[in-house]
Order: sequence, then C-alpha cells, then structure tokens
Amino acid sequence: MTPVIALSLFGIINLFLGFTFKRQSLQVVTLLFIICSMALTAMDWNHEYLWFGDMMKTNNLSINFSLIIQLAGLLVVAFSNGFGKDEVYTQPAEYYAILLFSLVGALLMVSFQNLIMLFVGLEILSVAMYVLTGSDKRNLRSNEAALKYFLMGSFATGFLLFGIALVYGSTRSLYISGILYNLSHTAPESLPSFLYAGIILMGIGLLFKISAAPFHFWTPDVYEGAPTIFTMFMSTVVKTAGFAAIYHILDVTFGGFQKNWIITVYFITIITLILGNISAAYQQSAKRMLAFSSISHAGYMLLTVCANQPSTSSNILYYSLAYTLATAVSFAVLMVVAEYQTGRTEKPENFDALNGLAKNNPSLAFAFTVALLSLAGIPLTAGFWGKFFVFTDMFNKNLTYPIIIAVLMSAVGIYYYFKGIISVYFNSGEIEKIETSFLFKIALWSACIGTLVLGIYPTLLKSIF
Amino acid sequence: MNYQPSDFLPIFVQLAAAMGFIVFTMIVTHILGPRRSTKLKDEAFECGIESQGDARTPISIKYFLVAILFVLFDIEIVFMYPWAVNFKQLSWTGFWEMAVFMGLLLAGFVYVIKKGILKWEK
Amino acid sequence: MTLPILSLIICIPLLAALVLASGKLKGYAQQISLGASLIQIGLLIKLALGYQTSTATFQWVEQHDWIHFSLGSLGQFVAKYHLGIDGLSFGLIILTGIISSIAIWNSDSIKEKTSSYFALIMLLNASLMGCFLAKDFLLFYLFFEFMLLPMYFLIGIWGGPRKEYASIKFFIYTLAGSLFILLALLALGTSYIDPYETALAIDFIQPGQAFSAENAQMIQTAIANGEIASDKWVHSFDAAVFADLKNCYYKSILHPDSAWVLGNLSAREWAFWLLFIGFGIKLPIVPFHTWLPDAHVEAPTPVSVLLAGVLLKIGAYGWLRFTLPFFPKEALEFSNILSGIGAISIIYGAFNALAMTDLKKLVAYSSISHMGFVLLGIASFTAEGWQGAIFQLISHGVLSSLLFLLVGVIYDRTHDRSIQNYSGLAQIMPAYTFITGLAFFASLGLPGFSGFIGEFFSLMGSFNSQHSSAIWAILGGLGIILGAGYFLWTFQKMFLGKQYLKNSEWLLSDLTRKEKLSLYFLGISSLLLGIFPSIIFNLTDNWVSHLINQLF
Repeated sequence: MTPVIALSLFGIINLFLGFTFKRQSLQVVTLLFIICSMALTAMDWNHEYLWFGDMMKTNNLSINFSLIIQLAGLLVVAFSNGFGKDEVYTQPAEYYAILLFSLVGALLMVSFQNLIMLFVGLEILSVAMYVLTGSDKRNLRSNEAALKYFLMGSFATGFLLFGIALVYGSTRSLYISGILYNLSHTAPESLPSFLYAGIILMGIGLLFKISAAPFHFWTPDVYEGAPTIFTMFMSTVVKTAGFAAIYHILDVTFGGFQKNWIITVYFITIITLILGNISAAYQQSAKRMLAFSSISHAGYMLLTVCANQPSTSSNILYYSLAYTLATAVSFAVLMVVAEYQTGRTEKPENFDALNGLAKNNPSLAFAFTVALLSLAGIPLTAGFWGKFFVFTDMFNKNLTYPIIIAVLMSAVGIYYYFKGIISVYFNSGEIEKIETSFLFKIALWSACIGTLVLGIYPTLLKSIF
Repeated sequence: MNYQPSDFLPIFVQLAAAMGFIVFTMIVTHILGPRRSTKLKDEAFECGIESQGDARTPISIKYFLVAILFVLFDIEIVFMYPWAVNFKQLSWTGFWEMAVFMGLLLAGFVYVIKKGILKWEK
Repeated sequence: MTLPILSLIICIPLLAALVLASGKLKGYAQQISLGASLIQIGLLIKLALGYQTSTATFQWVEQHDWIHFSLGSLGQFVAKYHLGIDGLSFGLIILTGIISSIAIWNSDSIKEKTSSYFALIMLLNASLMGCFLAKDFLLFYLFFEFMLLPMYFLIGIWGGPRKEYASIKFFIYTLAGSLFILLALLALGTSYIDPYETALAIDFIQPGQAFSAENAQMIQTAIANGEIASDKWVHSFDAAVFADLKNCYYKSILHPDSAWVLGNLSAREWAFWLLFIGFGIKLPIVPFHTWLPDAHVEAPTPVSVLLAGVLLKIGAYGWLRFTLPFFPKEALEFSNILSGIGAISIIYGAFNALAMTDLKKLVAYSSISHMGFVLLGIASFTAEGWQGAIFQLISHGVLSSLLFLLVGVIYDRTHDRSIQNYSGLAQIMPAYTFITGLAFFASLGLPGFSGFIGEFFSLMGSFNSQHSSAIWAILGGLGIILGAGYFLWTFQKMFLGKQYLKNSEWLLSDLTRKEKLSLYFLGISSLLLGIFPSIIFNLTDNWVSHLINQLF
C-alpha cells in the first residue's frame, strides 16, 4: 500500500512547503503529489498484496475505489484555486496537507482487512473533515457545522466501535478472514445473538457517514455551513469511501447473514430515497439541494448493496464515479458563482444567484447543466448508467417494489435538478464573465467530458470494474 | 482460575470504608461547625488576595496551544517505555521503527517552531 | 465497404449541431442547419431508391458492439448499436427529414441566440432519427429520452410567457413516461435471454456465422434444461429477442407462469401497461395529455411543428414496434380498453377544441383528437386498422405541421391568436385563406385528402375488429363530425363574414413567397397522399400483414 505511505509523506512535505511556496504553486505541487500516488496505486493492478501485518489487502476492487477517491481529491484540489486570496485567514498548505491526510484515511477504509483498520481509517478521514468544515473561522455557520459534525460524527463512531466490539466478542477475530473462517465453522444456532446487534451497529456507524436517513440530519447543515470546496470533498471522497466500507462489511463479510440485516437496510434505503428526494425538492438554496441530493444518491447506491449480486461492487464503483464527477462539477460552478455573488446578492448560494449564468458564462452553464443532468440520470450521461446498472441488479434479485419507489423518486429528482437548469438558462439575471483559473477550467472540462464519455460508452470502464 | 463473588469481599469492604469516611466527615462537619457568615467570609477565596472582575475573562490562545502541544509530545513518550523495555527482542527492526516514529515527531516539532507557536510575544 | 447511410443520417445533424454550438459561424446558423437537413433528405432519397417494399424484414442494417458487461454468475448484458429500417419506420424517417427541414425553413421568427437554437433543432432531429432507426430497445430508449432535452430547452428558452411552466411540465410528464418504459425495459432485459448471443458466448457458433431458427430452438431448450451454465447466458435488448416468448427464462418475473401478481395484474400485464402508458403519454392519450396544449401554446412555431409533426408519432411507433410485439396476448386481452381510450381521446380532444378561443390550442386539441384515431386503429388488431393508423401518423405529421405553420403566420404578424379577434380575413389575405381552408378541410377528413384515408381505415379496422366493441368505432366516427364542427366554425369566424380586426393598427400582409413555398408543399403532399394512398400502403403492407400473422 505504497500510496498510503506516499500520501502521508506528501502531506508532511506540504506542511513545510507552506513556509516558502505561494498558494498557486502549492496547488500545483499537491496535484502532482496526488497524481504520483495515483500512479503508485495503479502499479499494484492485478496483484493481491497484504500489508501492515495483514491488516490491509489491495486487490483490483480496492485499487479501483482508491483511484476514484484520489480522482475526487484531484478534482477538489484543482477546483480549490489556492483557497482564494484571503492571506490571513486561510492556510493553504495546511488545508492541502489535511486533504492528503484524509485521503490516507479514505484509502484505509477501502482496503481494510481488519476492523481496527476500518476504525482508524474512518477516524483519520472524519477528524480531518471536522477541521476542514470549521475552517471558515469567521463564519458562524461554518463553526456551527463543524461542531455539529463533530458531535454527531463521534457519536456514530461510537456506534461503529460498539459494533466492532460485539462482532469481535462473537467471532473472536478482528480480521475479516478470521471472522469469515469462524462464522463458517460455527453452527448458526450457536452464534451469540449479539453478533446481529453488532452487524447492525456497525452498519449504523457507516450509514451515518454516507448520510443515509434517518442518520442524515447533520448533512444539510454541515454541507451548507462548510466552505463549498470542502463540501465537495465531503460529498465525494467520504461517500465513496463509506460505500466501499459498507459494501465490504455488509455484502462481503456478512453477506451470509443477509436475512438478519436486510430488513433494516431496506427500511433505511427506502426512507433515504423518499426523504432525500422530497426534501431536496423544497430547497431554495442550491447548495442545500445538493446536500439532499447526496442523501438521495446514497439511497440509490444502498439499493445495490441490498441486492448483493456479483455485480454489486462494479455497480457501486460506476455509480460512485458518475456521482463524483457530477457532484464535483456542480459544486465547483456553484462555488465560483457564489464567490462572484457574495456582496451582490443576499443569498449567494440560492438558485436565484445562478440566474442568467448562461448569458456571459456559457461554458460554466454548460458544465453545470451536464452535471445536473448526470445527477438526474438523463441518458447519455454517466449518471443514467449508474442508475441503470443499479436497477438491473434489483430486477435480477426480483426486488420489484423498491425499484418502483426508486423510479418514482428519480422523477421527483428531475424537478429539483431542473430548477438549477431553469435558473441558468431560462431566467434572466446579470452575471458578468467570471474569470476562472486554468486548472479550474481543465478540471471542469475533463470532468464534464468524462461524464459524457461514460454516458455514451459505459463499457469503457465497466470492463475494468 | 475462577473467581467467586465472595473473593471480591475485601474490595467491597475497602469501598464501603472509603465512602463511609467521606459521608461521615461531611455530615459531622455540618453538624459540629459553627456558622457565622460575614461579608468578608462569603467572598471567593483567592489565596488571600482581593478578587477583581469577572472570572470568565478571555485567555490567550497560546495557553491552549502550548497545553495541547505538551499533551501531544508527552503522550508520545509513553510509547517509548514499552519499546525500551523490549529493546533487545525488537532489535534493529524495532529501532528503525522507533527512528521513523521519532523522525515524524521531530518533523512535527520543527513545524511547530517554524509556525511560531512557541514564540510567546507576538 | 458500403456507406453506413443510417449512421450518417444520425451523424450529420449531430455534426451540424457541434459546428453550430462552437459559435464560430453565427451568421449562417440557419443555412448550415438547412444544408444539413437537405443532405439528410438526399440520403433518405438514396435509401428510398434502394428500398425493397416486397419484404417485411429490416434493410440497410448496421450493427456494432456497444455495451457489454458481466453480471458475474448471472450472465452478461449486451446492448448493440443496431440500426435498420422497415415498412414501419421508413415512412416516419422521411416524414422526420421533411418536417425538420420545413421547421428550419420557417424559423425566421427566431431572432436571438440563433446558433444555439439551430444546434438544438439539429440535436432533436438526430435523436428523432435515432428513435426511428434503432432496432435495439436500449438504443431506442436512449434516443427517446435524450430527445426530451433539446425539446425542453427549445420550449424553455424561446417559448412564450409561461415557458418555464410549460417546459418543465412537458419534461416531467414525458420523463415519467420514459421511466415507465425503463422499468419495462429492465424487466424484459433481465427476463429474456438472447439465443444468438448465448450461442456466441458458448462458442456454439462463430461470429458472422448464420444462425437458423433450429439453432435458436436448440439454445432455448438447452437453457430451459439447465445445460448452459448461468454465467454464459447473454441478456440483450434486441427487439427481436423480446418478441419471442420462448426466449423468456422460465424462472423470470415476466414468464407467463410467474407467480408475481400485484393488484390482480400479472407481471406481464403490468409490463404491458407500463409500456403502453409510457408511450401513450407521448402520443398523448387522454388522461395524460395535459402537457400537450401547454407545450404547444408556449413553443415557438417551428418547435410546435416538430412537436406535433414528428414527436407525437414516436408514441404510436413505440406501440407498434415494441409494446404490441412484446406483449401480444396482453394487448389483445385489453383491446377493448385500448379502443375505449382511443375513442375517448377523439371525443375529448374534439370537445375541447370546440371550446378553445386560442387558435393554437385548438390545433393542439385537434392533434389529440386525431391521435385518438391512431390508437383506435391499432387497438383493432386488424391489418386495415394498423395500415390506417400508420397512414394517419404520416398524414397527421403533414397536416398538423401545416396547421401550426398557419397559426404561426398570423401570430408572427399580430402576436395574437384569439379566434374572436379576427373576422373576414379572406378579403385581406386571400392566399392565406385558401391554404388555411385547404388545411382545415384536409384535417376534418374530406375525401381526397390524406386525413380521410387515415381516419377511414382506422375506423374500418375498428368496425371489423373481433377484439374491440363497435361502440368505440361509432364514437370515433362521431369525432369526425365534431372535427368538422370546430374546423368549419373557426374558418367561418375568422375568414368569412365582415372584415374585422380587434386592433386596427395590425398590418396583415398576405403570405410571403418563402411561407408559400412550405405551405403549398405540405398542402400538396396531403393531397397527393389522399389521392395516391398506395404510396404509404405499399411501404407498410408487407410489414403489417407479416406482423399480424406472426402475432395473432
């Protein structure tokens, strides 16, 4: 797991570079670091390695997840633009270092082989996110969000830890392989009943991180309060890592006990879909809408976890990638527009602030539209195939009723995603040409083109996943 | 070896004695001590110095930073004890692992100094 | 190597859209898109010259691998880029080519953001063509749903005062419809196994080798007997696979023996209704029609032309191409209900049209009424009914385009479409009056025009049908009378009588040469089709009789 070591070192190096380097050069250096660690990740392709006393395992699945996570990190860094021009209150070197450290946490979460490693990874990721959420120190909302996130997050971690303890108590191992061995060599009747409680509790701890209802209450406030660039990070990296972990726990490790957790997870999935979509439809703030949309997408991804088919992992990968690209682009556009509108309008993150964007910024408007279409699941964007693959899985499992709900909810989704498109194209407003940096443009366009290419020719990646 | 509940009896006795002593003294002082409250007596006791202003004054962030740093570096020392005890068995592998650990710690220390956190007047 | 003409038909407008979207050639947007659609028409003519009317099979077939993914132990999924034309689609693609060039020709009223406007029109054209050309259900679905986007923007950006409401209503209605279709598509895809692809996967045959019906049967039996491992099963979305019930895996949800029941309807019946309603929203059939008048009223004239002239046809095309061949038994079972919906659409649309004061809304409701004949014809399950339905599609494509263009003529001049604000227009605009009269008479089903043939054959099919009650045909006939009512009434109010204009400052000049060209072209086409209906019937004859024999 060379990228874990590399990213940790890069983070430390970044801290020191902050003393000499300018913002923009720090951004470029961080980008190079992430690209470097992506290359290191890809080098393990088609090999299975055990690391750190067998506590981590890298295989193609974990490498795919790692690459998506690092791609998300790459996009966030490229969109970050050195965190603005505020010299006193922003510390780019520290922010970039923390981003790199949290990527380490995410990588641990996708390739853990030992429950302790899962816990460590989750904590590294979460603690970094608590800090970044509150990084807009003078903003009361940001402070509130950080505290809320921290309190709720540590509570969820407690659940996870309790679950791990119960699972350990009943299976006498923290290693996934050990758990599987012990489970297969014990008669189901003689397993202690608190094993099931442990599975559910671990599930709850992880479901909190991906903001599945009813553990989603922190999401809108935190997403809205945090600086947009970190919201982007949260909604892409944390979610992907969380799903990798959920898949690993529920489907891989405890797939044999599906009948014990499926009802709970089912219920959670349905609630997530309904709550996420319906609440999103009521939002005035585009950022809050995206927060609820991220909840609803967690619902779609949970559907495939419920189905637990051979293709589930590849579906989660595809969905995560499609979702990551689209979310990153939509938050990026929202971020630059909100920056422009700050001081000009009262609520720079509302839909109204986007009015008339297409007039002088056609490329931003186009990218935003593509991203929203992908999130809504319109064909010829990656998002459509994400949903398509998930629904296929459901049909293979004969889960007809959840699909009907999911399909109805995607119709609701159209309504709120199109609110953004209406603002951008149909409404009139005065937005001058917004200047963006070169890296920003490259990232925006490559994410957009990626979304379209994956939408037209999904086999491209489906054959790898 | 199995423990019976009765084996814990000495501990319960000890617990009861400790709790009993506290309860006993608290009650007894309440009953025995005379109560004469004056204005001077009711004031907060500040080592004999007259108290001034509100207790909730802002304290420089430096206090907290130093305190946190102290805790951080102090905790790291804890790791060195078991390492030192098992130094022979862990041999060179253990040595290099500790060297990496100390290296990271040192990097952190340098970072802290360069950030100027330990500069008191600034 | 032969030229992939069908792909070119889709790609040329796409290329034109790209060129236009780049914004380099702003001044020539209309010319570029017109050129692109003329090239497209040229290709269509080339197709027409080489087209054989004697067979019912697909011609000019193009096939490429497109999507292939594995479901692990559950087999694989294959979707192909598979194009072809047959008797059903050929008339419709010619209609699409002509109507879209007419729409472009009449786009002078669009003044702002012209290059994006024409780019969207080109995108719409490409996706419409894609819909009619696709043989693969999934490919069709992609074009079908993608089509909504350009339409949404065309209404939403260049539309009238309530454009946001109308465009989002249009989008949500039709998207709900396509989600229904998606559900059915997924159910079909997971339930049916493609024998040809499976044979390839188990190396039973080599790529390019012929695959006979006996071979297919062998594979089907082998799957049913469990002789082929489940990870070798290949699910595809080829329409031909779904049309053969023997390809349905016996344990799957869509198999006739499956125990899945929801509210008295079996899974197959549900899937049928999902497909039927999904396409019906597009047509539109009556309970789901309310998006259409709104969309038409707000859309600019050329967009209305495309919407009524081509877009609505996809609903009926979807029934004939997918719904009925996939679920023939279910369709027969419900044929009475379907006819009923058709008759209600006719009557309801006609009554609404009678009540309208807005000329464009009147035409929109008359569209609903005319589309009811299509459903009536299809639901008869007779050869003449289907022939009539297909004929009605093309005839209505021509006539509704003509009507919307005519509405556009007067709207361009006065920005007012209220019927009561005009009277005696015949004295000011004789040419306009003439062509409007022609269009009205053609639409109300006067013999000699195309409208008559379509309605006549649909009704005849419905009368002769053993599956649906004759009451519906009688009701449908009533609709023709109502149609005569609203058209003649409107004609009388607006064109005859004493000359009156609500606003005396209105300058009503007669048709320009440019307008005349397209209007006369459409009028003459309708007349031609009415006098020589065999132009269409020759195309569809084999196709219809083949399908009817195969299904029922």
